[in-house]
Amino acid sequence: MIKKIVLTPKGFSSIPIEADVISPDVFAGKTLKEIRNLPIHYGNEEIEMKEYIHAQGKVAETPENQMIVIDGDARHIKQIGTKMTSGRIVVQGWAGMHLGAQMSGGDITVTGNALDWVGAEMKGGLIRILGDAGNLLGAAYRGSSEGMTGGCIAVTGSAGIEMGSFMRRGMIVVLGDTGDFTGVHMNGGEIFIFGKPGKRVGAQARGNGGFIACFGGVNDMLPTYRFDTTYTPVFMRLYLKELYEKLGLSTAAQFIDTPMKRYRGDLAVGGNAEILVA
Amino acid sequence: MSFIHNGVEIEDTFAEGFSMWGSRIIITASSQKWADIAATTMTGFATSVIACDCEAGIESFIAPDDSPDGRPGTAVMVYGFSRGKLSASMLNRLGQCVLTCPTTAVYNGLPEEAADEMLDIGKSVRFFGDGYQVKMRMGDGWQQRQRFWRIPVMQGEFLIEEKIGAKKAVAGGNFLVMGDTEENTLKAAEASIEAIKTVPGIITPFPGGLCRSGSKVGSTYSFLKASTNTPFCPSIKNSFKESKIPEGVNSVIEVVLNGLDEPSVMRAMGLGIDAATEVEGVKSITAVNFDGKLGKFKMSLRKSLEGI
Repeated sequence: MIKKIVLTPKGFSSIPIEADVISPDVFAGKTLKEIRNLPIHYGNEEIEMKEYIHAQGKVAETPENQMIVIDGDARHIKQIGTKMTSGRIVVQGWAGMHLGAQMSGGDITVTGNALDWVGAEMKGGLIRILGDAGNLLGAAYRGSSEGMTGGCIAVTGSAGIEMGSFMRRGMIVVLGDTGDFTGVHMNGGEIFIFGKPGKRVGAQARGNGGFIACFGGVNDMLPTYRFDTTYTPVFMRLYLKELYEKLGLSTAAQFIDTPMKRYRGDLAVGGNAEILVA
Repeated sequence: MSFIHNGVEIEDTFAEGFSMWGSRIIITASSQKWADIAATTMTGFATSVIACDCEAGIESFIAPDDSPDGRPGTAVMVYGFSRGKLSASMLNRLGQCVLTCPTTAVYNGLPEEAADEMLDIGKSVRFFGDGYQVKMRMGDGWQQRQRFWRIPVMQGEFLIEEKIGAKKAVAGGNFLVMGDTEENTLKAAEASIEAIKTVPGIITPFPGGLCRSGSKVGSTYSFLKASTNTPFCPSIKNSFKESKIPEGVNSVIEVVLNGLDEPSVMRAMGLGIDAATEVEGVKSITAVNFDGKLGKFKMSLRKSLEGI
């Protein structure tokens, strides 16, 4: 049986809070008092969570039965759901940086916007952002050679720069536009953009079955991508059907029989990634 | 020994079934016409392992809403005596009959949890792409993991699932419909096939599901391993001493069926027999067996009717 804990931030702080303890894996099996006393970082100071976030509700025995609702503006709270493996988090408002970073299971929903590094190096699970996402969505951390290796991130609004950098597997869906360098260094995985990507989409992408599908067209295609053909690939139906049936994205269903231009690159790195443009 | 069902005499005997490896695939295409063409071509010359490399047939038609890619499809089942033989037959038939057929795509129709083995069919077909094939991944980390291969072909792209499920299955379910005239017997056998089609996981590999020339093991000719089923040939019923043709019977048609499991085959047999007995002119129904000496499964006609 699912049990719910409601966290209420005690106002906005210009000093960021790092709260990687906000995770079903950490909460499950603890008492409410223990949860309130969990350590978080306020700037460079370690404090107890109760000083800035009020917790109330029921605690589950296991993470998969734990639901955490953050009720209020949490844009100053970083690392919500970091490394979580199961359970559910709902942020009713904005969420801070590193939301769901390196998570491997469970799902997170944000009703507002989310800041940078959402789902960075994500391994599994589902993140839904009903507003906009910041930069480096599903990206690799600096110095790392692999970004997302699994899971799905769906953004109803737009996303910032370097989305899906060094992506290896998994899926990112953005209904709006994305920033420059979308899919940079991508080496696998699937990116669906229903708006338009920014400049240098797919730069340095190597392939490994990875592709970027741009249903709203592309303004600036890199010259290191070679146009092959215009066709209606059957495989795209499977993905679009999945987006519609599993994520409820009705926009996807409209493109099921849409012919797509196939570009292959990035030839600058000998890559065979695909950019498919409707 | 016999009993009466719907006024027709049913011999209290059993069909002797054999263990074979079975698999199921779903072929989709831009229209039902092309899915059917691919399925029909793929299942050609696959009636019996007496002389064919495998036994195959169309199991069902898949509506667009139920198919993996939202296009019309046809489910096909293939049976082989071993995993190796099944794999080889699938590979050859998919490669020559489905890969070549315009607009088709192939999906696994036997989920991993129901299968005993997952055969690397798509994984082998991919080499046709000559290095330009693309591995397609789905569901990593958030849905059921799936793998496909996209192979560039002259018409566009061929999509095939990497692994196809296979399991130890049942072949050789059968019964003989015996009627007063050729017309009535055919009509009754056709009714059987329509009833059998309602059971999932079953195929009837012979033409239209029917075998009008059942065979027995061996022959008077040393070079022939099977020959006409003389005891059940009405045209020689008074010439052949061991004839098993009952009085008033002038035509016999055998219904042969394979299935993924024994209960499905039994149910299909029961429904098929029941449907046949409702047709006027059917005199008797029996089954072919080898006194239980050859096959693993003994599927009683009485029990099959009790199960419907």
